[in-house]
Amino acid sequence: MVIGQKLALSVFLVGKVLRFVFFFGFLYFLLLGNSTLAGYTSNQIIFFFLTFNLIDVITQFLFREVYSFRPMIINGDFDLVLVKPISALFRVLMGGADVVDLITIPPLIFLTIYFGALLHPSVLSALYYLLLLANGFLIATAFHIIVLAFAIVTLEVDHTVMIYRDLTSLGRLPIEIYKQPLQAFLTYLVPVGIMISLPAKAMMGLVGIGGILVGFLVGAVALFIAFRFWNYALTKYSSASS
Amino acid sequence: MLLEKYLRVGLKNEMQKYWSIFKISFEQEFAYRLNFILWRVRNVFQILLTYFLWSTVFASPTTQIFGYDRTKIITYVFGIMIVRALVLSARAMDVSSDVAQGDLSNYLLKPLSYFKYWFTRDISSKVLNLIFAAVEFAVLFIILKPPFFFQGSIVALLAFSVSIILAIFIYFFLLFLISSIPFWAPEIGWGSHFLVTVVIIEALSGSLFPINILPINLQSIVMATPFPYLIYFPVEVYLGNIGGSALLGGLMIAIAWTGVLWLALNFVWQKGLKVYQAIGR
Amino acid sequence: MNRAIIVDNLVKNFEVAQKEPGLTGAFKSFFSPQKKQVHALRGVSFSIQPGELVGFIGPNGAGKTTTLKTLSGLLFPTSGFVEVLEHDPWTRKPEFLKQISLVMGQKNQLWWDLPAIETFELNRAIYEIPTRVYEENLRELVELLEVEKLLKTPVRKLSLGQRMRMELVAALLHKPKVLFLDEPTIGLDLVAQQKMRDFIYDYNRKYEATILLTSHNMDDLVNLARRVIVINEGRILFDGALEDLVAKFAKEKIIKATLSNENGIADIEKIGKVKKLAFPQVILSVPRAATAVAASELLQNFPVDDLTIEEIPIEDVIRKVFKSGLKK
Repeated sequence: MVIGQKLALSVFLVGKVLRFVFFFGFLYFLLLGNSTLAGYTSNQIIFFFLTFNLIDVITQFLFREVYSFRPMIINGDFDLVLVKPISALFRVLMGGADVVDLITIPPLIFLTIYFGALLHPSVLSALYYLLLLANGFLIATAFHIIVLAFAIVTLEVDHTVMIYRDLTSLGRLPIEIYKQPLQAFLTYLVPVGIMISLPAKAMMGLVGIGGILVGFLVGAVALFIAFRFWNYALTKYSSASS
Repeated sequence: MLLEKYLRVGLKNEMQKYWSIFKISFEQEFAYRLNFILWRVRNVFQILLTYFLWSTVFASPTTQIFGYDRTKIITYVFGIMIVRALVLSARAMDVSSDVAQGDLSNYLLKPLSYFKYWFTRDISSKVLNLIFAAVEFAVLFIILKPPFFFQGSIVALLAFSVSIILAIFIYFFLLFLISSIPFWAPEIGWGSHFLVTVVIIEALSGSLFPINILPINLQSIVMATPFPYLIYFPVEVYLGNIGGSALLGGLMIAIAWTGVLWLALNFVWQKGLKVYQAIGR
Repeated sequence: MNRAIIVDNLVKNFEVAQKEPGLTGAFKSFFSPQKKQVHALRGVSFSIQPGELVGFIGPNGAGKTTTLKTLSGLLFPTSGFVEVLEHDPWTRKPEFLKQISLVMGQKNQLWWDLPAIETFELNRAIYEIPTRVYEENLRELVELLEVEKLLKTPVRKLSLGQRMRMELVAALLHKPKVLFLDEPTIGLDLVAQQKMRDFIYDYNRKYEATILLTSHNMDDLVNLARRVIVINEGRILFDGALEDLVAKFAKEKIIKATLSNENGIADIEKIGKVKKLAFPQVILSVPRAATAVAASELLQNFPVDDLTIEEIPIEDVIRKVFKSGLKK
């Protein structure tokens, strides 16, 4: 790797780490002492934040290729992808992983486990957490598929991805802080609540079997819609011409 | 007299120059309508998080922490909307790609001050963003019906205006300094803006949280940097939370930073231009 | 002012960082960066009178663009003397900048998403052109370059040729006394190339602007520049009238023929010097004066399917120039 590339990646790495540290530090100082926020203790609030980061960083790691999708469509490389025997969707979704994220993911997992342990969850709660975390990933995947499908139809990727990132970043804190109808919007329509808040709450033993099922239902529906939209978009695909 | 006429025509030409730049920059943002609208939408989302967060922290109307009560903190958040549009709306980060890709050459060939050119473009962006921010402010005000503190003291308002002007210059110089990095390392042009302009400034300018929620020693460190003078300091001055000697002290630091950054910029830019090898064909 | 451009012993060196591949290479270049010296110009001297149209010709990397950029103030000389319109270009004084213009093929000054007319208005203000003068210049240029209908179209929707013409309008609105054109015909189709050359010629005639253009395309000079400066590897190899250059060094022309069968192919060397023989292609070089005769002999005596006559590639001409040493 050329020195220039290495330098650029280091700068980004430092930036991402700092961003995490700043928000983490902010939460820490905000809840110094035994302050609570929306009824949650500081450890719990931090756990929400860590869950958000976990899902955010891993999905960004896996789906980095989405950011290259627009040029791929414009210069016609997508055609080459479509004719190959590998699922086109798989290729454009997960074709390129970012090395930098490999550095950030392990410490993040460690922190999540650490703070998770501080919450003294029961085995069941921890299990629910992992299940709903997986569910959260599925929803994130569904989101990205929809973004890609949208891109095929409208050539717009960057903006939709940014909106997605902005919405999910609202999940850095438990969605209870948002008033209705924003809360409902974030829970059911753009299921940030199901993706992020729900797993964290499960870890705290606040979610029963009903909540789990609702979560999975939303996840399944999201994936279903995503795949339908993707297939629809493929039929609308008009190959790029110069 | 000849000198008078010369000055008059010269001034008129200068004004026209920058008015033209202002206009074309404005039009350019309209050409990227969707981009701009989405930028504003994202701004609103960011404000929402901050608003609801603090709303929840201060859920009980009697809560008083860090020197704020509910009214003042909500005013802080709403104030950020306007101050961000005034201070943090800018185009000068595009200088980075001008340098990295050699487009700077086009400007070196023209009888035009590159600094003044970009400053004018910044002002153009601020005007446009301010209009939208005012609309968003009004709409959110009507929907959320927040308690808002209207500053009455003339002194505070005057100090507020001065701090805004200083903030605008500080941000401009910072952007230009970061954008000078591509003279020596074009690969980290965008990366350095991500690091400083996006991450560091967002955190330390007061956009997310008022600096005084930090413990005193951390506070002092942050207040010694130029960043809190972009958002936190002006808003605090408006709220009347900073007065008397603290106000004067703060303004001194802001002025000092403006001067230091200006000198640093000139120095770095001269060096950079020498290194600049009009790259690309 | 008797000379618009004076260049005396101009030397320009670049330092280029060497980046070796691989991890060890990356570490090495971080701790002890290797810099290589590139000698772009090694003592170039020439002067140009006002109103002259001069062609700067040489292969890629010869130093043409570096010269133009130094003359317009973008690069500063490592050593030597440069004066344009009695100014030192590097000081970039406004009075100087208002009198020159540099047009580089790939560098657009037009605002991409807006109609060209917006950039023109902007330039009017920047160059402080009085309104009436601006409107007149605009009208003339737009007519000359045939772009009236395109003024309100966003630049990104124009074709390359149309964009280049708009770039010329933007570059000439302030009626520069000195015009630097870097590879003005690159990327254009043959028709557009000729139109570009015609425009440059007309502009030079009409406004007596000093024009210095660079090219690695020999055709750009043939009917355009009376005076050519040949440059290679940072040195001037020839400076003088085009006829002299051609007569002295491009003594031959190339005939390329496609044959339909191999009959009598061995005799083809009677027509001219065989440079390449790979059926059905044959490439001959013949003395310039004898080209027409050779071509007709070829057509008469051989089964020719297709035949073209070309100039010797500029690299070959320059190689010849170089071989015969420096010529002032």
